[in-house]
Amino acid sequence: MKCDCKHQNSDLSKLGPILSAYAGIPGSLITILQQAQEIYGYLPMDVIYHIAEATGNTPAKVLGVATFYTQFRFQPMGKYLIMLCDGTACHVNGSEKIAAAISEYLGIGSGETSEDGLFSLSIVACLGCCSLSPVMMINEDTYGSLTPEKALEILKEIKDKEESDT
Amino acid sequence: MSYRILVGEGSCGIAAGAAKVYDALRPLLADSSVTLGVTGCIGMCWLEPIVDIYEDDTLKKRLVRVSADHAAQIAAACRNNTLDALSALEITEEDSAFLTRQTRIALRNCGIIDPNSMESAVKAGAYEAIGRILRKDGGMRPEAVIDCIKTSGLAGRGGAGFPTWFKWNAARQSAGEEKYLICNADEGDPGAFMDRAVIESDPHTLIEGMLIGAYAIGAKEAIVYVRAEYPLAIKRLEAAIAQAEAAGYIGEHILGSDFSCSFRIKAGAGAFVCGEETALIESLEGQRGMPRLKPPFPAAAGYWRKPSNINNVETYANVAWIINNGGEAYAALGTPDSKGTKVFALTGKIRRGGLVEIPMGMTLRQVIFEIGGGIRDGKQFKAVQMGGPSGGCIPESLLDTVIDYKKLGATGAIMGSGGMVVMDESTCMVSMAKFFLDFTAKESCGKCVHCRIGTKRMQEILGRIVEGNGKTGDIELLEELCAAIKDGALCGLGQTAPNPVLTAIRYFRDEFEAHIEEKRCPSLACGALLRYRIHADQCKGCTLCAKRCPVGAITGTVKSAHCIDAEICIRCGQCHTVCKFAAVEVY
Amino acid sequence: MNQIQLTINGIPCRCEAGVSILEAARQNGIEIPNLCNDASVRVYGACGLCAVEVTDDGNGKPIPKLLRACSAKAMDGYVVSFDTERVNQSRKIALELLMSDHTGDCVGPCKLNCPAGTNCQGYLKKIAAGDYHGAVRIIKEKLPLPAAIGRVCPHPCESNCRRALVEQPLSIAYLKAFAADKDLADAPYRAECKPDTGKRIAIVGGGPAGLTAGYFLRQKGHRVTILDAAAKMGGMLRYGIPAYRLPKAVLDREIEEIAALGIEMKNGVRLGKDITLSELRREYDAVILAVGAWSSMGMRCKGEELSGVIGGIGFLHDISSGEGEAPDLRGKNIAVCGGGNTAMDACRTAIRCGAENVYVIYRRTRDEMPADALEIEESIEEGVTYKFLTNPAEIIGENGHVSKIRLQVMALGEPDASGRRAPVPVDGKFEELDVDLVIMAIGQKLDAQGLDGVELTAKGTIAADTATYLTNLPDVYAIGDATNRGADIAIAAIGEANRCAEVVHSALSGSLTPYRAPFVSKRENVSADEFKDRVKQARCEMPTRAPEVRRHDFDEVNLGLTDEIAQKEAGRCLECGCHDYEDCKLIRYANRQEIHPERLAGLKNSHPTERKLVCIERNNEKCILCALCVRVCEEQAKKGILGLVGRGFPTAVRPEFRDPSVIAGCKDCRKCTDVCPTGALKFIEQA
Repeated sequence: MKCDCKHQNSDLSKLGPILSAYAGIPGSLITILQQAQEIYGYLPMDVIYHIAEATGNTPAKVLGVATFYTQFRFQPMGKYLIMLCDGTACHVNGSEKIAAAISEYLGIGSGETSEDGLFSLSIVACLGCCSLSPVMMINEDTYGSLTPEKALEILKEIKDKEESDT
Repeated sequence: MSYRILVGEGSCGIAAGAAKVYDALRPLLADSSVTLGVTGCIGMCWLEPIVDIYEDDTLKKRLVRVSADHAAQIAAACRNNTLDALSALEITEEDSAFLTRQTRIALRNCGIIDPNSMESAVKAGAYEAIGRILRKDGGMRPEAVIDCIKTSGLAGRGGAGFPTWFKWNAARQSAGEEKYLICNADEGDPGAFMDRAVIESDPHTLIEGMLIGAYAIGAKEAIVYVRAEYPLAIKRLEAAIAQAEAAGYIGEHILGSDFSCSFRIKAGAGAFVCGEETALIESLEGQRGMPRLKPPFPAAAGYWRKPSNINNVETYANVAWIINNGGEAYAALGTPDSKGTKVFALTGKIRRGGLVEIPMGMTLRQVIFEIGGGIRDGKQFKAVQMGGPSGGCIPESLLDTVIDYKKLGATGAIMGSGGMVVMDESTCMVSMAKFFLDFTAKESCGKCVHCRIGTKRMQEILGRIVEGNGKTGDIELLEELCAAIKDGALCGLGQTAPNPVLTAIRYFRDEFEAHIEEKRCPSLACGALLRYRIHADQCKGCTLCAKRCPVGAITGTVKSAHCIDAEICIRCGQCHTVCKFAAVEVY
Repeated sequence: MNQIQLTINGIPCRCEAGVSILEAARQNGIEIPNLCNDASVRVYGACGLCAVEVTDDGNGKPIPKLLRACSAKAMDGYVVSFDTERVNQSRKIALELLMSDHTGDCVGPCKLNCPAGTNCQGYLKKIAAGDYHGAVRIIKEKLPLPAAIGRVCPHPCESNCRRALVEQPLSIAYLKAFAADKDLADAPYRAECKPDTGKRIAIVGGGPAGLTAGYFLRQKGHRVTILDAAAKMGGMLRYGIPAYRLPKAVLDREIEEIAALGIEMKNGVRLGKDITLSELRREYDAVILAVGAWSSMGMRCKGEELSGVIGGIGFLHDISSGEGEAPDLRGKNIAVCGGGNTAMDACRTAIRCGAENVYVIYRRTRDEMPADALEIEESIEEGVTYKFLTNPAEIIGENGHVSKIRLQVMALGEPDASGRRAPVPVDGKFEELDVDLVIMAIGQKLDAQGLDGVELTAKGTIAADTATYLTNLPDVYAIGDATNRGADIAIAAIGEANRCAEVVHSALSGSLTPYRAPFVSKRENVSADEFKDRVKQARCEMPTRAPEVRRHDFDEVNLGLTDEIAQKEAGRCLECGCHDYEDCKLIRYANRQEIHPERLAGLKNSHPTERKLVCIERNNEKCILCALCVRVCEEQAKKGILGLVGRGFPTAVRPEFRDPSVIAGCKDCRKCTDVCPTGALKFIEQA
């Protein structure tokens, strides 16, 4: 993970309520990180350092915990998070091809954000909608029985909508 | 005459459009006597969204594959008492058989009660068991509860199948005032979703099972560790805990007894290894989820090094039923080795996929063909994968294996948490083995050498085999690595990681050999090994394939048969996709 | 305290109840391999090397799973093993897996490429510090003739020296000779010998191989007799190498040092004539044949039988040793055929004998010549004429004596099996030279006289096993130029002798252990980029006597280095070999059993070496993720500066990296460097 020097100016006061809510409760580090990510959309470095200081942990420890779990992000996310399921059922039904099509279309791999900041792609284990496989979720919406073509159409629609909005 | 309409709103149903159906129905029923509500997941995923119409407590119609467009029709039929008009939407008898062949204990209320309503749960019998236990006269002592569970033969449904009573008893026997009862709802097997369905559809059953467990071991705090990817489950469980607290089932002096127990939810943060109990404990303590050495076992030194008991959702979901119906009733189901029922998530190339709860002892064939309706699209069955990344595939020849911990174990697969992914002739078993190793390698915590580097190396070897770069001796090398990793890895994740590969080699060695020696994928699934040719007699010379070919490998003139130059072909398959005359053959 | 009894690897052990199997073993002086365990921190269980099998749990039942000895408690009656096939296999795979993701040079390319495995980096460091006796002590662990070898070795160490990526390789060979000269001049280092074992060993041949074998076997306490047919010991070093390269006094001194260990040396004893092999076998517990290859090979060319056509070795024999008169070649034309070091010695010796014209006939070009480049250079300075791309076609005589040599002109064709471009004759193109003497220096072969009953190879060399050095006779070993592939450089024979001594010692101690090449971790594709920040420092020049002076005598060409130059030169060493090689637990375990990590080759984690912490250089490519540093920093130093970052295969140990105040919190407590089982952490002494 690279030092994320561009993002050193987070409004740390937003962390206050979380830190005081969990002050002195042992074992709360992951919960604090989760809530911090809710606020900032990801975990900027200064936030990590601030949490370390406030919780009496070393930064190495907090980074160690944060980098262990796939939920935590260290880069800002796109406006739309595509969660493409690669559970067993989706895999058997061709999710790989959909992943390849999306990656090619957006020019990003799993865990990356497109240059326009619109999309982030995350290939995830089972979303639990196996009967609709292959499945992806874009923010709150679920799309099932995908084909590569169908998936790209959905992305194009969002893109067009965003373009006409601006 | 007043109807009650229930829309099935599990994650799966919502994904299929159940919420839109609900939203469409609501205004249409606003001023009528017809009530509208939601229920959880009935488990018939292939029919979602599902709308049930009840008259009093009797199910009158079950409508399937409903869309918002049907709302008006449904509303009208209910208002006008002309339910027969909905017959086109009604479930077929054949599909209904999916449920009738099942025996539902853990899923007993799923898709029937409203998961948001305490009243609905209580009406279905929730908290009867804990009430019975805590009754001032004639209640049950913790030892009696453990005895009852022992009689039932209930074993951990998370995968390992360890006797539940034994763990409870060990935790009970451990010295110390401070004990914890933990529910593992970090369902990570990519292909299993029964735990999510239980929490989303019947959260009070989980809470009650946990209360009974906490009472039995002497814990004052219960914690549910839920996958962060299950937001709806977390929401419904939070609400249910609040309801139960308000109703006096959670908190100090529950039901006026000396038993006190608090509940809380901890959301996981994305790490499959946290399904391993000691890793889960590390995670609960805010650490990297790396497994601890055992012994000591959690029953002696778990959460904060205090005696702790961990079971998964399905295990707890059976508990209240067992207390209410007696251990013997539960033990009457199943086989001598494996008692009771087991929930499976039946998915893959199956006609009827969904949640299936059956008594132990049924055969795989019965589940897949009689309940699941066999393979879809007229293809041939090849294998069923059980136990996900820790399990293995079972071939056609072993379909009459009965579902039982020992019998399944003998095949090289495991019971697992209940993922049952069906594969047909088009599934490449080498590629599937790689899929699982991709998963485990990604999910390895990195602590022990055998798992951290061993799964990586296995993944690489499988990778080169499916890419057509396999070497003679790779199968033996995989087998050697598998044996060493099973023996040497620190935790269950690593120790079982070789299972998908070992079973694939055991039952489909010829597929591995074809990939390695002949550079051929018999299932025609591995892109790098496919070849394409055009059959001259079927080719109409439409030129579409030649136009689409990105590398100009196809030559031919209009109305004459085309030809693919194998040297230039990059095996993208575009020609095969675009040909309208099925003239392009993959081989 | 409650004492319990258990058996570990068949050894009865006692310990307190409640301790781990690992600790129980430790208390009883048994080391169960482990990499992630340290008494100062909590048990972790990552490495898996301490896996043990319990074949009896005290109640007659085996425990089906392997146990980690670090965490499993020792129980009364346990029968524990860590050398069963299953455990060995588990440990082997663990080590292979670890090595497959371990990038580093256990030893530098100099040592790795030295046929005798001389620890160049070690002695260079001593020389740089001015500790010449210390340097020689290190050299003599492998090589008892450093003053001689340092002068004559074609030094594969230098050819592989990574300093060449900065500017030029170190002058390793001359530094070795320099240190040895210094050592010999004043209270030389002398190895100690173990008490007498009563075993007697005869070594036939007192060349570098025989002397070396004797040197090491004597140190093991065996009684060694070296027999040699010549008048003095030294073999090719004495009779093949001219004095201008290796003064005889230097050789004598080193041989004296070897003899001083208490080795009996008998000269003028020829095998097959003065004594037979069967007599030796009767009299001694083991016989080592190190007889060398003393016959020059013929060229299979017409006229070879003429008088005036002689072998290079024969030509050099008496002149080199000074035992015979140097012939007067004034006014004569000499042709030397061949491109190796013997050809060099012959042509330069011929010059020194006053020859008018000395031609070196070589069928390829200068670039392909196997001889040392410096020797070619010096010979040209001394007046040797090279006839490249020519091959003797016929030697023409007059009255039975050579008068002319007819040369076939050659051209270079496609590369052959050796990778060199093969010379092919140019049709019909010939050249003639007037010559008085033709010296054949195209190779040597064994004179098999006296080797009755010893099996030979098709090439006519002694067939010796490459791992046991045994001939077909059960107590007769063979090494050096006389064996297998034939003549090679002296240091190769010395390496064989050293390894053979170990084998013979093992056999005489009761159980013959064949030689197994140690496993070492090596880096591939090291590029100059890595060293672009290094200050360039030219290689030292060896001062020599002027060509016009030296061509007239046999005095040493080289004038030797000064202390200042030698120390500065030795200081150029890049120290490529791992600082922790001697203490590294990983490599120690890796060599306890045979491992082949290359079969599990795959992606390796790559990290730059970094110095983010005060005093500590961290090389994550050598890290095995035992997390001892992380744990000791947290649990013992109470700092928590290091942490594990990431998950799975890419996991790495990192200090936090932004806030300098925290890094300053790292004092030089050295706890992490002390506990690191590999060379991933290096403590840097502050100036």
